[in-house]
Amino acid sequence: MSTATIAIRRNQQLIRPQAKLKLGPVSSGIMVTAVIAVLALLYLNQITKTSVFGYQLTELQTMQGKISGQRQELAVEAARLQSIQQVQSSNVVKTMVPEGPVSYAK
Amino acid sequence: MTTYSEQLYQRRRLGWLIGALVLFGFIIAVRLVQIQLLQHNYYLIKAASIHQRKYEIPAKRGELFIHDGENTAPLVLNETLKLLYADPTFITDKVKTARAIAEVLGESPERIYGLLGKGGEYEVLARRLTSVISDKITALKLAGIGLTDQTYRVYPEGTLAGQVAGFVNADGLGQYGIEEFLNPDLGGTPGLLKAKTDTRGIPIATSDNVIRQPKDGNSYVLTIDRNMQAQAEKYLAAGVQAVGAPSGSVIIVDPFTGAVKAMANYPSFDPNNYGATTDYRDFANAVVSDQFEPGSGFKVFTMSTGLDTGKVKPDTVYNDTGLEQIGGRDIRNAENHQFGIQTMTDVIQKSLNTGVIFVLKTLGGDPTKITAAGKKIFYDYITKHFGFGLRTGIEQAGEAAGQVNPPSTNDATYANMTFGQGISVTMVQMVAAVSAIANGGKLYEPYLVDQIIGSNGAKTTEKPKLINANVMSAQAANDMSKMMIQVVEHGSGYLAKQKGYQIAGKTGTAQIPKPDGSGYIDGVNIGSFVGFAPVDHPRFVMMVRVNQPKVSGFAESTTVPIFANISQWLLRYYAVPPSS
Repeated sequence: MSTATIAIRRNQQLIRPQAKLKLGPVSSGIMVTAVIAVLALLYLNQITKTSVFGYQLTELQTMQGKISGQRQELAVEAARLQSIQQVQSSNVVKTMVPEGPVSYAK
Repeated sequence: MTTYSEQLYQRRRLGWLIGALVLFGFIIAVRLVQIQLLQHNYYLIKAASIHQRKYEIPAKRGELFIHDGENTAPLVLNETLKLLYADPTFITDKVKTARAIAEVLGESPERIYGLLGKGGEYEVLARRLTSVISDKITALKLAGIGLTDQTYRVYPEGTLAGQVAGFVNADGLGQYGIEEFLNPDLGGTPGLLKAKTDTRGIPIATSDNVIRQPKDGNSYVLTIDRNMQAQAEKYLAAGVQAVGAPSGSVIIVDPFTGAVKAMANYPSFDPNNYGATTDYRDFANAVVSDQFEPGSGFKVFTMSTGLDTGKVKPDTVYNDTGLEQIGGRDIRNAENHQFGIQTMTDVIQKSLNTGVIFVLKTLGGDPTKITAAGKKIFYDYITKHFGFGLRTGIEQAGEAAGQVNPPSTNDATYANMTFGQGISVTMVQMVAAVSAIANGGKLYEPYLVDQIIGSNGAKTTEKPKLINANVMSAQAANDMSKMMIQVVEHGSGYLAKQKGYQIAGKTGTAQIPKPDGSGYIDGVNIGSFVGFAPVDHPRFVMMVRVNQPKVSGFAESTTVPIFANISQWLLRYYAVPPSS
């Protein structure tokens, strides 16, 4: 479609009929109040949702902290169990025989 | 109808009322001006102090790891456990509360009840509670009972490398060892939360809160090998106890990097329970903090100086009369030996004091006397080449520098220095210097940190630091090594001999100076042995020191057996095949 055609079509829309609906001051007031009320409700809804998410986030963070603490406890316990002193005093080590002379292949 | 006087009275009353109201209004206005304008800043700060609070967000302290073969093992970890406390003013039934808590803790309720009945508002009931126990207590929902997090430093290996690690005190500060030396880097930087609070002082999430995230401390992988450390501690303890000595130390390093593989002290301590240690000297890592007169072990540096300057060769001879008179003092060989014509190799093998004095004389160009030039050359070698008299920089708190007398000191003192008296050194200096002989003439800085793990997990591997690439020529180092082999093969280090391996070493039995400097304490000594193996390509340099052994004799009977046991184990651990 050429630029000229678009211009003509635009010109055809230049004259529009007047809107028949007219609002008085009271109606406008009610409309504005209603819009404000709806917006307020939407705002409240969002705020509530944010609070709920914040609560869930706190719960998850608490859980994360707890699990992290448990992981730390287990890591420490594992390190203790694998420590040289622990290994040397284990029954398995006590049953081991001393190493003998080593022979090296030339 | 009111009379005129009544109207006048009413008007006066009204006038007074209006006047009072105006005055009241004026006072309020003045007060408002005073508060809102003149004292504006004061009330602004006061309001901020009530509504705003600053909270420090603690940084996580870095952890320490050591090598375990090709893997790493934790040496120091953090553990967050719970502290159980009570506010007895909120507890109505103390007997019931005490019973409930005691049942979970597995103890009798009397102790708990006693604490609840003390009348205070804060009583600590138990510490170091695991999450399992603390969950059970939380589930009881007891009024006046609370739990709070407490982070503890944990040393899972117990006493292993206790002095190397050090400990963290109740204030969170590293003490001794690497905990103190790297305290700022391990501790990190705490964060900050500046927040508005509600009436209970709880922070409110608002957009104008200021938060600075904490920067956790770095973690470190140390060069220490867990197995070598354990074996060194085991053989050291056995050896020290066998000769009735109160203490002893061992250090093992890689001569081609300076990496410290083991640093052991006896007695040691458990950093988990450092409060139980009664002698604070047990906290210090004697390998780096104790400076002592090395005795005959120091002869290798005198001889190395002679060899590197070309003033003597292994087969250079001198006449050992058993006595040297220097500055009006008689200096003799140990046990008054005199051997006649001796080579320089004999000097090291037989540990002849007169022989190393001969070397000092030759350094000055005149074999008949000690000269200023000779002393200057000797001083330069032991300080600038071998690094004595200076801290090595190893990552340990309380490192001593040792003491080397300047060349202006009298000749007798310098003669004594040639065989390790009148000079003080540390063990870490000794192994670093002997490493230069073992590796062909390079002095490396001894180090403990192998890898740095940043708070973001990024790893940086530390490189060996070459301090002096020309400590001595390769030929001189080779000659010195061969002389030290003779000590093990035919001299005082014979107990360190192992079939099929060439081991180099030198014993030292040093007297202990009196605190007032007026000579030496009778009947006590410090035995030492420093050596390396295998000589053709050394895998380790090791020094053993035993303080004040109760048995008679020299270092050969106190320290060499410990060296022998550890080196035998090390050669197997490294899987070094015999050379012959």
